[in-house]
Amino acid sequence: MTSLTKNAVEIHHLVKRFGQVTAVDDVSLSVADGEFLTFLGSSGSGKTSTLFIVAGFEDPTSGSVEIDGRSVLSVPPNERNIGMVFQRYTLFPNMSVRDNIAFPLSVRGRPQNEIDRAVAEMLDMVRLGSYAGRRPSELSGGQQQRVALARALVYRPRLLLMDEPLAALDKRLREDIQQEIRRIHRELGVTILYVTHDQEEALRMSDRIAVFSHGKIAQIGSGSDLYERPANGFVASFVGNSNMLRGRLRGVSERMASVELADGTVLHGLSDANLIHGTQVEIMVRPERLIPSSSRAGDLTSLQSVEGTVIDVSYLGEAVQYEIATRWQQNIVVRNDSRASGLELGASAHFSFHVHDALVFPTQPSAS
Amino acid sequence: MILTLNRMGRGRFVLYAIAGATSAFLLLPVVFIAFLSFGSSQWLQFPPPGWTLKWYEVLFADPRWLASMLVSLKVGLCVMALSIALGLPAAFAIVRGRFPGRAALHAFFISPMIVPVIILAIALYALILKLGLNGSFLAFVAAHLILALPFSVICIVNSLEGFDISVEKAAIICGATRLQAIRRVTLPAIRLGILSGALFSFLVSWDEVVLSIFMASPGTQTLPVKMWTTLRQDLTPVIAAVSTLLIVMTIAVMLVAAFLRRRIAR
Amino acid sequence: MPALVFLFLFLVLPLSSLFLVSVTEPSLGLGNYAKLLGDAAYGRVLFNTFFVAGVVTCVTLVIGYPVAWLLAILPARTAHLLMAAILLSMWTNLLARTYGWMVLLQRTGIINRTLIDLGLINEPLPLINNLFGVTIGMTYIMLPYVILPLHATLSGIDPAIMQAAAITGAKPRQIFWRILLPLSLPGIGAGCLMVFVMALGYYVTPALLGGTANMMLAEMIAQQVQSLLNWGLGSAAAFILLAVTLVFFAIYVRVVGLGKRS
Repeated sequence: MTSLTKNAVEIHHLVKRFGQVTAVDDVSLSVADGEFLTFLGSSGSGKTSTLFIVAGFEDPTSGSVEIDGRSVLSVPPNERNIGMVFQRYTLFPNMSVRDNIAFPLSVRGRPQNEIDRAVAEMLDMVRLGSYAGRRPSELSGGQQQRVALARALVYRPRLLLMDEPLAALDKRLREDIQQEIRRIHRELGVTILYVTHDQEEALRMSDRIAVFSHGKIAQIGSGSDLYERPANGFVASFVGNSNMLRGRLRGVSERMASVELADGTVLHGLSDANLIHGTQVEIMVRPERLIPSSSRAGDLTSLQSVEGTVIDVSYLGEAVQYEIATRWQQNIVVRNDSRASGLELGASAHFSFHVHDALVFPTQPSAS
Repeated sequence: MILTLNRMGRGRFVLYAIAGATSAFLLLPVVFIAFLSFGSSQWLQFPPPGWTLKWYEVLFADPRWLASMLVSLKVGLCVMALSIALGLPAAFAIVRGRFPGRAALHAFFISPMIVPVIILAIALYALILKLGLNGSFLAFVAAHLILALPFSVICIVNSLEGFDISVEKAAIICGATRLQAIRRVTLPAIRLGILSGALFSFLVSWDEVVLSIFMASPGTQTLPVKMWTTLRQDLTPVIAAVSTLLIVMTIAVMLVAAFLRRRIAR
Repeated sequence: MPALVFLFLFLVLPLSSLFLVSVTEPSLGLGNYAKLLGDAAYGRVLFNTFFVAGVVTCVTLVIGYPVAWLLAILPARTAHLLMAAILLSMWTNLLARTYGWMVLLQRTGIINRTLIDLGLINEPLPLINNLFGVTIGMTYIMLPYVILPLHATLSGIDPAIMQAAAITGAKPRQIFWRILLPLSLPGIGAGCLMVFVMALGYYVTPALLGGTANMMLAEMIAQQVQSLLNWGLGSAAAFILLAVTLVFFAIYVRVVGLGKRS
């Protein structure tokens, strides 16, 4: 990649160590102009450290960050032309909503009439026009974050960084503001780097998602890439719900792996990884891809099935979730449309799934 | 509530009695002095044989009392300004600094509160005698500042710790330089702490007796020194008049402080 | 940092040179310390100091605990009034308050006159210029310093704990002895240590309400330096006081922690 591409941000081999701890471990990625890219990961996975290095609040141990093809590591944060919305409410408590939004333009010494016009436009955009004279302490959390968003965008920054901006809000409000951020992204076309630990939020909002784990990017891709074609067991279990059936590798041909479970059942699944015969592996099947069927599926079709007893039924509104005890001593979860014929507690049933819906990964080192 | 009052049975009357007695005990000398300052008895009889304002007249007619008040006021204002000027950077270093020994630095700034004042007094007394500075403005200010500094440091550190540094970062990423961010965002946000630090610093200086006794010369005295030397001679009702004025001032400061806190905290 | 320079010049430097004085005047060595700790007259001063500080600490705790408790459970309005009385007395000029007690306690003062008028005594009681006067005055001055930390601790205790104790069958008396009192021990420790340490080094009140016969340590230090110009002995006494203070402060830090806020 060279600076001739239209990438807004280029990160190369970024490393950040705090003493013995490596917070960011050789992260490289590029963000296209106008893209909405989300860093998804649990706390301590390195996503926030990476964002703070882009913002300029932290210096990397090594590696580079380029914005529009120019390295910004020597540029102080206030000159990077970046907008940022923080996890906590960071409105200036001593200023009104209007003065908060005007602040970035005021420190840039813009003429007053231009400031007034831009502030009015932003207030309009976040639909808080009637709150211009209020103090931050008089606003709700959601309103405060919308003002913070307006303040971050009023000076048309090259890049908008958002560090878990909705973490402190309740679910309904969070979804409203997610929609609002999507709309603003569409309208302004600004490049956004978004950090969250909420996979649903990441899937809902992003063009692409980078899944962080232990300071590294486990996978980067669109939401459906991560869900349908997870690169490894970590991503498979982190993004969406999944059943990870433990077994031993019997053989691989082409991209098809055969796995023997503890009770001797043999299942097949796709695999891209380099698997070693006889090692412990896991087969991932999404709960909604398991379909109850009255009988065992035929061996000749690409369908295969597992058998088990229903030990728990939860009604979830749009779906019903069953917990199934299997013969190989591992419970699995099945989720179906709630209108489909229900299974009774204690019923024994077969659950069939397509070979292409099963993915085989090497067993992850147990993380506990 | 810890143990609800009306569930406590007769025990609560004991508590009420103790609270009433304690309030009386605490207010007794304060109210008593105020009464006596208007009493006509030179020997502080109570109840006074008659009422008069003559002790206030004596007080305001005596240039030495007025001079000592003026010295106290000047020293107090100076201590207040210096206490903030020195305390503000110190508090930033304590809260924001990332150097080892930060906790030790914090403890050092607060240490004058622990050292008994009499020890500070004779140590400084030896120093200013050596320098020939006794009775000088500088001696008073420096001595009072030692006691005032911990108050401004504590007040500013507390409010700075309560201030989310992300807000300052937000200002910087918005394009403000670090200095601009501190001046326009951080300082206004911690102004209540700075204000209380200033107020405490002034009061510490205004009320300080022990250090002042040792710093004073017969020519230059602060108000507490003048009261002290007068008290050691006799219990003249003029002291009651001065004390009453000081009590009124205390009440005024308490009211202003309560009012400011309510307004700013809003 | 200017504050550091200032404290170095006006705190560290004077204290260090004072220490030097204590071991060099009139002659090199620990003679001053030996004299202070060995001589009966000075031992008397040390005893007075610890005795008064101890009594003041106990009395303020006994009076202060119920008051702090009331502050936590009274309706807000009444509690504010009580708090205002405490703060007013605390913030009133120290000399003004001490003056009040000098007048109240003197031979012809209101307390003696009332007792004589009631026929309880024939001769005025010696309430002032002795350790009794000092104890009264210091108790008065230290009382807020034990009430405020106790109040902070007591109001920080979750009332649900008391409710939980009550619902499991504890009587109010049992709740007090077995729950409330143990939970308020940090406040008791903080208040008592603060009062004790302050009382040890207090100068103004003992100097005005005490007598020349029974001095306390701070008075003695001032007298040695100011009147007798005996710098060596005075500064040695100062460092004994400082050492004792630091020991108790170390205990305070152990018990309460430094700069911990509720």
